[in-house]
Amino acid sequence: MIRCEGLTKYYGNHRAIADVDIHVSEGEIVGFLGPNAAGKTTAMRILTSFIPPSAGIATVAGHDVVTDSLESRRCIGYLPETASLYRDMRVTQFLRFCAGLRGMGGAETSERMEYVIDTCGLAERADSIIATLSLGYRQRVGLAQALLHDPPVLIFDEPTVGLDPNQIIEVRNLIKSLAEKHTVMLSTHILPEAAMTCERVIIINHGRIIAEDTPEALTAQIREAETVSVTLASPGESVERQLTDMTEVVAVRPQGGGIFHVDTAIGADVRAQIAEFVVGHDWGLLELRPVEMTLEDVFQQLTTEEEGVE
Amino acid sequence: MRKVLTIAGKEIRSYFVSPMAYVVLAFFLGVCGLIFALTVTMTQSEANMAGMFHTMIFITLMMTPVITMGLLSQEQSTGSLELLMTNPIRESEVVIGKYLAALALYMIALVASLEFALIINAFGDPDWMAILSGYIGVTLAGMAFLAIGLFSSALVANQIAAAVLGYLMLLFFWLIGWLDSAVEGVLGTIAKNISILENFQDFAKGIIDSRPIIFFASLIVFALFLSVRALENKRTI
Repeated sequence: MIRCEGLTKYYGNHRAIADVDIHVSEGEIVGFLGPNAAGKTTAMRILTSFIPPSAGIATVAGHDVVTDSLESRRCIGYLPETASLYRDMRVTQFLRFCAGLRGMGGAETSERMEYVIDTCGLAERADSIIATLSLGYRQRVGLAQALLHDPPVLIFDEPTVGLDPNQIIEVRNLIKSLAEKHTVMLSTHILPEAAMTCERVIIINHGRIIAEDTPEALTAQIREAETVSVTLASPGESVERQLTDMTEVVAVRPQGGGIFHVDTAIGADVRAQIAEFVVGHDWGLLELRPVEMTLEDVFQQLTTEEEGVE
Repeated sequence: MRKVLTIAGKEIRSYFVSPMAYVVLAFFLGVCGLIFALTVTMTQSEANMAGMFHTMIFITLMMTPVITMGLLSQEQSTGSLELLMTNPIRESEVVIGKYLAALALYMIALVASLEFALIINAFGDPDWMAILSGYIGVTLAGMAFLAIGLFSSALVANQIAAAVLGYLMLLFFWLIGWLDSAVEGVLGTIAKNISILENFQDFAKGIIDSRPIIFFASLIVFALFLSVRALENKRTI
């Protein structure tokens, strides 16, 4: 549904993105992840025909975003990073205006408006003037307009920015449910968000794609050891040395407060042995759990490695 | 066409939910009315509107950049241009839609100003054909002013800057006629022919000539074309 090849964009002499290749198949939900100023918004603006690329091609639903942009834009529902809405309009007026821009008929407009107002939780504020809405509600209006014409492709630039934790969960669930009928591409700099909502993650830094895979595979790729966190009530002085002496253990890293991170070889599960060992020494085992490597770690590792290369 | 009307409808609504429409209409009718009253009572002139049209076109010059200043500049400064232009809509549709909205507000002002003609009609016997010709002239000139104002609004993201730029462009076309008397030969003739005031004179006298009509029509089309290009250019930095 979305295809980019060799996409490059220069702003004057500054290169925002370079040689970006992206392929997103129908029904997929892909996260576009990167620190601020990595080029996420630039790539999305090219896909939505807001700015033309300096080089490379991009198509959405088979339509070139430069030469056939009216058609490609028709297939996209876009939530810009800062959803700048017309502040003097009421929510329903604004949605009706968007429907007009997309050439929707009267019956279709009414039906879809009812659906998006309900889906985005706007029923209570549907007649409010947009200027009076909170940031969270404005974001919902932005989402509502993106869904309004039931487009096959949805592009969301930082959809959860400015929302409170409950709203973030609502929006994430909404996006997940959308993936059944739409192809979704969303950008975020919040890593757990990408891990939770996306089937595939594209990591971009300094305008280049540096990794692309499922969140699980990405963490597995980077992981160098299995880690178990052990919390002890009364650790003796020799805990660190004695744990290190266990055959499967590679390293022990004290975290303070009786917490120790025990690294073992990839694939090994030594929790049973550690439990037995600790109980045997009467150190008062409070907690024993595997430490999952987060996408955050992967991300940090990838982006700092990249900087090291330059 | 539906998209054009959608844009126009939104802007007209916007004029009337903000003080813009009321301030502009009050300014136009207030100043015109004041000058009308002064002329009628002080000069005891003939029952015609020739002088009135000169007043109206000057007030129009003062008013039109204010009508158009926010139309495209605000989209740029608030960032709503991104939301607008990622819809399946052409730049030309946006420009024409916004232009029609500005024109609608201007036409409301002109229709309201018919009261002056009706007052004259009540006390005298004016030449209605001359009044018609004057109104055609004021309408055409106003349309050109609005197109130029819209172009300046496409150029800069700041409303005030757009208004000032609009005034500068209009004053250029307004004052250039003065060169006619100062410069000999071809340059003087050109200056005279592209002067708004020169092109307007005949209409005010009741003469409908094709040359000024073509002049104003070209100015409108050219300014709108430039607005479309300026808007396209905003995205290809």
